[in-house]
Amino acid sequence: MAIRLSGEFEVRRKPEEVYDFLSDPQKFAPLLPDYRGMTQQDATHFTLRVEVGISYIKGMAEMKMHLEEAERPKRARYRGQGSVAGGNVSVTAGFDLRPTDSGTVVAWAGESLIFGRLTSIAGGLLEPLGKKNVQRLIDGLRAALE
Amino acid sequence: MVKTETEEKNWVGRPVPRKEENRLLRGRGKFADDIKLRNMLYLGFVRSSYAHARIVAVDTSRAQARKGVVSVLTGPEIASETQPFLEIGPEPCAKIKDYPLAVSKIRYQGEPVAAVLAESPALAVDAVELVDVQYEPLDPVVDVEEALKDESVLHEEAATNRVWRGVFEYGNVDQAFAEAAYVVDIDRLHFHRFSSTPLETNVILAQWDGKDERIYYWCNNSFPSFAIQFLAAHLGVPIDRIRVETSDIGGSFGIKITSYPQMAVCALASRKAGGRAVKWVETRSEHMLASAHGNERTFRRTRVALDRQGVITALVSEHLDDCGAYPRYEPLGCVIWSQVFPGVYRFRNARIDFTQAVTNKCPVGPNRGYSRMQHLWFLERVVDICAHQLAIPADEMRLRNYIRREEFPYTTPNGCVYDSGNYAKMLDVAKALIGWEEWKKKQASAREEGRLIGIGIGTTLDSGTNNFGQSQIVNPAAPFSGNSQGANCKLDIYGEVVVAVGSCPQGQGHETTAAQVVADVLNIHPDTVTVRTGFDTERNVHTGFSGTYASQFAVSGLSAVHGAAQKLKHEMTRLAAFALQASSDDLEFGSGSTGPEIRSRSTGASINYWGLSNIVNVNSAVLPPELHDITLNCRYVWRAPFKVPDKEKKYGSLTLTYASQLHIAVVEIEPETFIPRILDYAAVDDCGTRINPPIVEGQVYGATAHGIGAALMERCVYDSLGNMLTSTFSDYTPITAMNMPNVKYGHIETPSPHSYSGAKGMGEGGAAPLHAISAALQDALSARGIVIADSFNNGDSLFRALAEQKSGQGTKPVKVERRS
Repeated sequence: MAIRLSGEFEVRRKPEEVYDFLSDPQKFAPLLPDYRGMTQQDATHFTLRVEVGISYIKGMAEMKMHLEEAERPKRARYRGQGSVAGGNVSVTAGFDLRPTDSGTVVAWAGESLIFGRLTSIAGGLLEPLGKKNVQRLIDGLRAALE
Repeated sequence: MVKTETEEKNWVGRPVPRKEENRLLRGRGKFADDIKLRNMLYLGFVRSSYAHARIVAVDTSRAQARKGVVSVLTGPEIASETQPFLEIGPEPCAKIKDYPLAVSKIRYQGEPVAAVLAESPALAVDAVELVDVQYEPLDPVVDVEEALKDESVLHEEAATNRVWRGVFEYGNVDQAFAEAAYVVDIDRLHFHRFSSTPLETNVILAQWDGKDERIYYWCNNSFPSFAIQFLAAHLGVPIDRIRVETSDIGGSFGIKITSYPQMAVCALASRKAGGRAVKWVETRSEHMLASAHGNERTFRRTRVALDRQGVITALVSEHLDDCGAYPRYEPLGCVIWSQVFPGVYRFRNARIDFTQAVTNKCPVGPNRGYSRMQHLWFLERVVDICAHQLAIPADEMRLRNYIRREEFPYTTPNGCVYDSGNYAKMLDVAKALIGWEEWKKKQASAREEGRLIGIGIGTTLDSGTNNFGQSQIVNPAAPFSGNSQGANCKLDIYGEVVVAVGSCPQGQGHETTAAQVVADVLNIHPDTVTVRTGFDTERNVHTGFSGTYASQFAVSGLSAVHGAAQKLKHEMTRLAAFALQASSDDLEFGSGSTGPEIRSRSTGASINYWGLSNIVNVNSAVLPPELHDITLNCRYVWRAPFKVPDKEKKYGSLTLTYASQLHIAVVEIEPETFIPRILDYAAVDDCGTRINPPIVEGQVYGATAHGIGAALMERCVYDSLGNMLTSTFSDYTPITAMNMPNVKYGHIETPSPHSYSGAKGMGEGGAAPLHAISAALQDALSARGIVIADSFNNGDSLFRALAEQKSGQGTKPVKVERRS
């Protein structure tokens, strides 16, 4: 199952400030919904721990993340892979920054590829849950960057 | 008092109560999971959630460290100790390397990556979760047409996703098209993927006995003689070192034929555990996700030539078969469909270009109606679509095209011989059962009210007793041909009649029907015949074809039983003549005051079976030398009269008997929900002489339920990433008794000239409900210009078809060329 979402929002900060925030896992990751912790291996590799709850299916997911594209102050792109509830998830999340007179437009795009039994058991719930969580993340980002 | 044969009516053909019932209905059956051995271990599979991925690393350390875990097996370990499984097909198929655990790459969701061996089932389940597998996802390919582009290749060693391709051409196709009055083009038809859902899932108990280097299996594989051939080559052990025993089996429908990869893992796990027995009991989700599914098939660019009366004169088409990730029993399905090449129709000119490919989905296995039902559904769609396009009533269209009664035995364009049949009579019987004329009137008035009611006919075939020589059409080097079955009939030491067969019944009533056959030969009651069913390599009643599959027991199995019983009767006659000092002609078989006996008509002297057996088994010094060959333990192997087919022309007799089924469905599409609802249903069966009518009827009901479920409820849905979205019963929604209509059952009997009793193999049912329901939906919607092009239809698909048609987005899948 693939969930693809995208959008954009504007903040008053300069692209450099936005980029520094988005490319720093220590700042960025805690904004993820149900974030429970992280360990950073190096500047571009870190492991996230997030709690996953889809109806009665609950568990902890470990996501191995990599900041695979970083072009200050234009672009940051993460790729990750993890396992959850008998399945696997691959995610990509990218941010393209565009300066404006008043700040920066953040164009974001995310893709989650979900593999495994979860798609059968909770397939119908995943997309709305994904949308809700992405919206929470974006709202958190906006708030943090304002 | 002896009842003579002339006084006693034959047991074959009578509704003898099933002997199995007493045991099974009281919960006294013995199934594979009932068998428990000392120090037994339990196996659990670590399965991939990806459909296509490289295996980067497998870390078993956490699982190995768990208390109660004995060992963990991985693909590379197995690959280092075994050979890949044999592939039936020639190259490129032959280049595929199939191991029971993935070695370096995942090719379908649910593919086993590792196997955990633990002291209890719960420990095994927990330990499976502790095996860490790192994957590198690859692009999955879940569509056969995409697969054939070879942009993402599953098996690099084969360098292509194509497994097999062959063109089946007969007659003069071009001339027939040149002379046609009408040419109908059908862009695409699709037969969906579904499976069987036996109540009992796969179960394997294996023990690798290091002392005598033998492997013991207690399992519910339904074609063990096939499985051991694959296992012996894979494990590198002589085939006589593998003992397989089956007992009661809770359904198979063919799907349990391909459990040999799991059998291999269990044996290797047992060896690794020092010879402790290893049991694996498949969960329902595992079964749905990763056992085997039925073949999915797409029919492209179909062209049909017809004369002015609507008689089909020629057919051309491209058929693309999706066999999932590994061929396994395939590419046999690439030729098995041709057992019913023209279906029940008379056309002589045809060209079918058949291709099979692998995709990132569960491997297929022989599923009830295997390979033929896809083709028969295609032919029925062709006939119905042509009928609607030419405004010929569906029943009339069939009568114009059916093979006629007087044409039997009928040789098809590809050399198969249909033994007997009377399709027009079946149609009459079915129409009478359903009340055809009344329904036509009701349909007309309902249509005036805007209701969508359709009446559909499905005529189909159940070909039984394969000629395995057809495997040489897909691979000229294949070492199989013909067909045979073995049986043993003996008088035990105390005179009990004991019959042993090599079949693996799963509800077909083999104990009962075999007893009926022997009872007729010896003129005794079936209750006095004990029948040992279940495969056992050490019982010496099997051949390389033994098992239960392909609708053949009534012909091959019972012919073997009949032959063995006749041999026994001959020996008993000679022995009784000696004991009673009578001539053989003077003797009669029957039952007396002490049970079954043989009696002299002239003197009245008799000897019962215990007396006969006593002479041979415990009092043998009285036997004169000329009777020393008598054992009262008679084995007989029945061989089907087949020849090897012509491999180049793809021509020859591929099956011995052809049972037929004709179903009529009346279906209404609910106006609010678009859910199709069956209003009435008739099923007529012709399997020649019915050995036991209630058993036949039961199988007809079972096959009807299976077909209705497949037509309206059951399908294996995959998303674009290769996730199977229907791996639980909640999602797959198998049919239950609650969903079944009241089936009006009828039958005719056209005895087969190819079996001693006139019986034909039956039970698979030819998927007649799929044909009839598709036809009924077509009939309901044809006025709106909708063509039923898929074998699966539900409220959602019908809503979409109607919505697309209404909005003008619907495609025109059918074109008709009318020539002056």
